[in-house]
Amino acid sequence: MNELDYVGKRVLRKDGPDKVTGRAMYTVDMELRGMLTGGILRSPHPHARILNIDTSRALKLPGVKSVITAQDTSGVMHGFVETPRYPPDQHPLATEKVRFVGEEVAAVAATDPYVVEEAIDLIDVDYEQLPAVFDAEDAMKPDAPEIHPTHPKVKGPFHNIGGKTASSWGDIEAGFANSDYVRQDRFESHLRTHGYLEPQATVASFEPDGKLNVWTSSQGPFIKRAKLARTLGLPFSTVRVQKAYVGGAFGGKIDLFSHEFCAALLSMKTGRPVKITASREAIFSAYRHGQPLIVEVKTGVKKDGTLLAQEFKIINNAGAYRGSGVVVIFLAWGFAMLPYRVANLEYEGYSVFTNNPIRTAQRGHGAPQLRFAVESQLDMIAEELGIDPIEIRMKNARRSGEQLPNGDNVHNCGLRDCIQLIDEHTSLREKYGQTRSTRSSDRMRRGIGIGVSSYFGGSLIYPNSSSVVVKMNDDGSVTLLTGAMDIGQGAETILCQIVAEELKVPVDEIQVTAADTETTPVDIGSWISGNAYVSGNATRMAAGDVRNKLIDLASEALEANAEDLILKDKRIFVAGSPSRGLTYQKLVSASIQERNGDPIIGEGHWRTMRDEPFHPSLASTKGRWSENYAFDAQVAEVEVDTETGEVRLLRAVTAHDCGFPINPLLVEGQIDGQISMALGHAFLEEIMMEEGRTLNPNWLDYRMPTIHDTALSEHIDVITEKYEVGQPYRTKEVGEGYVSAILGAIANAIYDAVGVRLFSTPFTAEKILRGLGKIK
Amino acid sequence: MKKRPGKQLLELTVNDEFYELAVEPQETLLEVLRNHLGLTGTKEGCGTGECGTCTVLMGDEPILSCLTLAMDCRQKEIRTIEGLDRENGLTVVQDAFLQQGAVQCGFCTPGMILATTALLEKNPNPSQEEIKKGLEGHLCRCTGYNKIFEAVEQAAARKSRHGDSGSV
Repeated sequence: MNELDYVGKRVLRKDGPDKVTGRAMYTVDMELRGMLTGGILRSPHPHARILNIDTSRALKLPGVKSVITAQDTSGVMHGFVETPRYPPDQHPLATEKVRFVGEEVAAVAATDPYVVEEAIDLIDVDYEQLPAVFDAEDAMKPDAPEIHPTHPKVKGPFHNIGGKTASSWGDIEAGFANSDYVRQDRFESHLRTHGYLEPQATVASFEPDGKLNVWTSSQGPFIKRAKLARTLGLPFSTVRVQKAYVGGAFGGKIDLFSHEFCAALLSMKTGRPVKITASREAIFSAYRHGQPLIVEVKTGVKKDGTLLAQEFKIINNAGAYRGSGVVVIFLAWGFAMLPYRVANLEYEGYSVFTNNPIRTAQRGHGAPQLRFAVESQLDMIAEELGIDPIEIRMKNARRSGEQLPNGDNVHNCGLRDCIQLIDEHTSLREKYGQTRSTRSSDRMRRGIGIGVSSYFGGSLIYPNSSSVVVKMNDDGSVTLLTGAMDIGQGAETILCQIVAEELKVPVDEIQVTAADTETTPVDIGSWISGNAYVSGNATRMAAGDVRNKLIDLASEALEANAEDLILKDKRIFVAGSPSRGLTYQKLVSASIQERNGDPIIGEGHWRTMRDEPFHPSLASTKGRWSENYAFDAQVAEVEVDTETGEVRLLRAVTAHDCGFPINPLLVEGQIDGQISMALGHAFLEEIMMEEGRTLNPNWLDYRMPTIHDTALSEHIDVITEKYEVGQPYRTKEVGEGYVSAILGAIANAIYDAVGVRLFSTPFTAEKILRGLGKIK
Repeated sequence: MKKRPGKQLLELTVNDEFYELAVEPQETLLEVLRNHLGLTGTKEGCGTGECGTCTVLMGDEPILSCLTLAMDCRQKEIRTIEGLDRENGLTVVQDAFLQQGAVQCGFCTPGMILATTALLEKNPNPSQEEIKKGLEGHLCRCTGYNKIFEAVEQAAARKSRHGDSGSV
């Protein structure tokens, strides 16, 4: 029997009432007694030596309580990646040199924001400007200014290489030699940002007993604690990072930011709480954005469309420090490997230092850039071979149980179903090519296109695993303690659904304490697409532990076999005689009396790839990457105005193998949000930079989709897994995999509409008109 | 230290409560609501009038509190998200946002709900275009707006079904 009451249902958000009434407290809403305001002095230069910093004038200003520079720090560095090959390379405050406009040089705490602003102006810094470089390929040239030495393990003529990923399988030469058709293309992507509505903010309060309390807008408190403790030279146990509501993140709030360090150190210096809030302008011009990739891809195929060989060269403009630059070139390899079988593949990715702000993960983390290239090229190949876009994808799509070249297994893989169902649902094969074949002279032309993608769910990067505690309360209700951070995706809600299902307790009778390094167990974090699977299974085990204890007690008290007991409405009774039962309330009290005071507490732990000691090598890709791969096919229908070159995304269809949806309402929210973000990626959003300076640091000039820029978003669920009470499950991610295939689909739909092939994002009117030969 | 202009007396009504406050002339309504009155349900997403998260109602009109000087609110009646609370629970608009999944991170939600409330108070049966017009100044990065649209439509439908009981 597998009747589910809570999992798989459209349960409303647990935090919904707080959010619709304005009661939800975000970090920026926190007020503590005696709190000071903090602010940051940033570098005006893209590359310069710091000759001297004089803080004396600022310190004399009434109201200023502390000014800190690199001299006040422990000198311990940090980075998104901290491994022997890629050691940390960022100082929380610049020492000796600044390497991008906006780099943090000093920080101030004062009694109010006006004094902070004035004090920042009174800090005198002498700089010696150094030559700078902004374009990745320029930075690789031998005569380029050196921002950091090229990584010692990277051989070759290139400069400024922060890291390299190289991986291959099969015999690439033979693959191309046996191919009937080979083509090589170059695709470029552009700089975008997360656009979270809640500005980054941190409140730090250092207590006289040596405890540092921190509230910060983040994607998980444990990684923040680790990096704060290390850079501040404090034991982990004295740093407590606590939950505040988070107003969106999308990859932009993962690792340590200077303002977090500065708020903490300023609080330690002054003995008073300090709040630092980033202005929107600072977030646009000095905080971390996503990463534009150059993707060169050469592909060889047989006449029937079978992919035989693929060669990738990726160049990432990583900004002034390593950031997640060396992660994105690893991940791009993975996104090249995942959805299609390619017998022979060679991959080389370079992450290049430039004098731009540091770059980080952004929803999809390399997948949109990579899939845009591959899916566009695949359509070009199909056209050349006279095969339709569905057939070429069906020919190469992975099947259930396939082992990937890195040793991972795709397990139940619904990709072929996704492609087939989306074709049926959208009539792609009937519509595709129609506009072009009719040689329509209409001004408005429609087109349809498809893309395919795959995304991993959870990997081994600190903190690697999730643990959960579930406690019974005296009244028979339940408390869930989880380190998971709800960033809007609904983490707390789905974990409650799992507890509810395992214990048959209504979701609103579950209390949640979340994301507090002191009172909740460690959690993998809301940034590696592992919440539903890793934290979810830990939650299932913890609740299962409680269920077993309840059943054990009931079995003894009711003199019935455990198998004959039924859990329902916070009560356990004997199957067939509902009156022979005990409430949870009674069972808790019985446990305390008869089991040595045990109030019934359950614990659960989950680690993905439990036999694997470490994360995969970012350099060689050796080692396991994930045990959960989600697959999707997406179709875009567009309308192109051939007079203005403007394109509208009319309809986006997502057919996805998400394992099973724990909460379909939340899954839809993730899909819709990703379609919107991809629409912004395709048509609207671009961070414009010149010489390392951001030209459009605001939402008027960085155009995110508004309610006027929406597309019809439809979805088809391909269910490949199931949930059974008491059993481990393997569901898949839905939070970031759907920003990618759709990008290729849009590019392919534009080609279908007007015959213009685009090799770079964004898909601007200018590029379309140029393609149509209407402008030069 | 630069000399700052002296404080002035501001009299205004917020959520049906009358206040007399000493505020600096450069302070915005947003700062007064959040810092003087502790009404942190009103959010600041950009501080420059681009995102709509700081929206409150002045009388029946949605305004951007980050661009409104507090001293320009003398004798005005302001409604914030906290002022929508009903003894018997959520308003029709709040409930519709919840039911339709129009809330994710929640940061744009107070502004969205106030703008929707103002829209439906003036126009109980808005067309799709009128809904777009009513919410065009509000950014939401999580939902893609589709479910927000559905929430507004549901609220309008429920309101017209049950008649206007005064609580939108």
